[in-house]
Amino acid sequence: MVDDIESDDNWNDDFLAELIADVEENRNIIECISCGKCVGECPASKISNFNIRKIIQKILRGDKSVLKEDDIWYCFLCEKCKRVCPREGINIPLLIINLRNESFKKGYGPRYNDLTKYVEMAERFLTSGVVVEEQLGNKLPQEMIDELNEICNFARIKYVFKASKTNKNKRKKRK
Amino acid sequence: MEFNSLALDLDEIESKYPENPLDFFRNKKLCLFKACLEKYFPGVRWGIHDLLEELNLDISVCENQSCCSGTFFQRNLITRAQFAAINERNLSELNQQADVVLFSCNGCYNSLLRGRDFLKNPDVKRKTQEILSRLKAKSSGKNYPGKYEILDNPKLKLVHDLDLLYLIRNDVLNTLKFDLKKLKVAVHYGCHYLNLSRDKKTADAYLRDKTKLDELVLLFGGKPVEYQEKEACCGWGASQIVIHPKEALKITYNKLKSAENVDADFMLMPCPTCLYTLSKPEYREKINKYYKEKLDIPTIHINELIAILRGCEEERCITLRRKTPRLDEIYSIITQD
Ligand code: SF4
Ligand code: SF4
Repeated sequence: MVDDIESDDNWNDDFLAELIADVEENRNIIECISCGKCVGECPASKISNFNIRKIIQKILRGDKSVLKEDDIWYCFLCEKCKRVCPREGINIPLLIINLRNESFKKGYGPRYNDLTKYVEMAERFLTSGVVVEEQLGNKLPQEMIDELNEICNFARIKYVFKASKTNKNKRKKRK
Repeated sequence: MEFNSLALDLDEIESKYPENPLDFFRNKKLCLFKACLEKYFPGVRWGIHDLLEELNLDISVCENQSCCSGTFFQRNLITRAQFAAINERNLSELNQQADVVLFSCNGCYNSLLRGRDFLKNPDVKRKTQEILSRLKAKSSGKNYPGKYEILDNPKLKLVHDLDLLYLIRNDVLNTLKFDLKKLKVAVHYGCHYLNLSRDKKTADAYLRDKTKLDELVLLFGGKPVEYQEKEACCGWGASQIVIHPKEALKITYNKLKSAENVDADFMLMPCPTCLYTLSKPEYREKINKYYKEKLDIPTIHINELIAILRGCEEERCITLRRKTPRLDEIYSIITQD
């Protein structure tokens, strides 16, 4: 049964180093003592196989399978884990956003273009500055909407926005 | 703790104005941050607006403010620097016209503090300034000094509506025409209110925030009830309800069911996103379909409740058109003489 005991040989810094290069705060996960408090309070763990303690362990072993698996997409980003974690500075919601970014870069992750709600929200944000059909009160001046578009250049939101036009054209053709 | 200096320091106000914290806000310019979801619940805006007007405070909204964009950051559709740039653009506009900005939404409140926190990272700060400089180079309209610079030391402070209401609770009480008629209230704070560390200086602040809504309910003549899922998420989960609807609705179901189990008359919360999730007829129908249970507990935002208690017209405080179950019942119980 010696195999089951985690020896230092299991640790591998490569993956963690990549994550730290992107978000310095990720360094703090080395402090994790595997107490599992975060898991006990986590809503995502109640409804899926998502287990943040295990994900942290995998990262510390250099195991990148977390990027391929669905689990990271279940986190609620609710910050409960941050509140209950006994260690200072472990920021799990930010780590999850970082992992999802890596996952996207590798071509995994959900296709937002297929999620009508997201396509609509992206479209509204880039054409009116809000995410609902019509805001309460006056509309944002056009030059500021242009500024938002400039800020979002090359962001994924732009691709989702483009999908809204493609979807509309498809709908038109069908008619 | 990682206190963000943009957050209004509530302890300081309480110690400087022990008699009447409202005095701190006199002669200050207050601005209501426009949360996108207020569109579905206009009473969330008008409730606080009308109250502060009655208390003779200087209150406005900022025409040049955009959505906080938190939802896009949380779904990896924009980078930290892009999110921070959208945030700085908003802060800079708000800073032009206000001393204190008020938030009716946990999400917006978290976003504005978080965008600022990201600037503590030198790399993100540099990228954010690069984006802002690009805007400056392209801008043709009238500018004010520092419009496209990261605000160094803004005078601006941010405060959550619930924290403000609690701070000035005695003045709020004086404006009320009705009381809660001993109705049983299940309060829901929401994750980004309860779990937020950015606006807290000490661990005690977590504990204090956990009872503010309960205390307001008591003060207004209602009975706060304890229930199992009190501190649980509403189910929105940064759009989990859109991406994994069936799973996320389990969390919504548990929450509503737990409040019904203790015979609460309604649920009260300080966030329109939680309200949206816990109220939406489509979600209630899905819960009925998945879990074979029809849950009809009414749901109300604290700002809407203040408006009802102040005797505001129905349309202005809760827009009954929003089809939240049994809201009209609660409205008539509270407003009967
Ligand atoms: S932020 Fe994610 S990992 Fe943390 S408790 Fe919430 S759902 Fe779980
Ligand atoms: S609560 Fe903190 S220390 Fe404990 S397992 Fe979770 S991340 Fe690690």
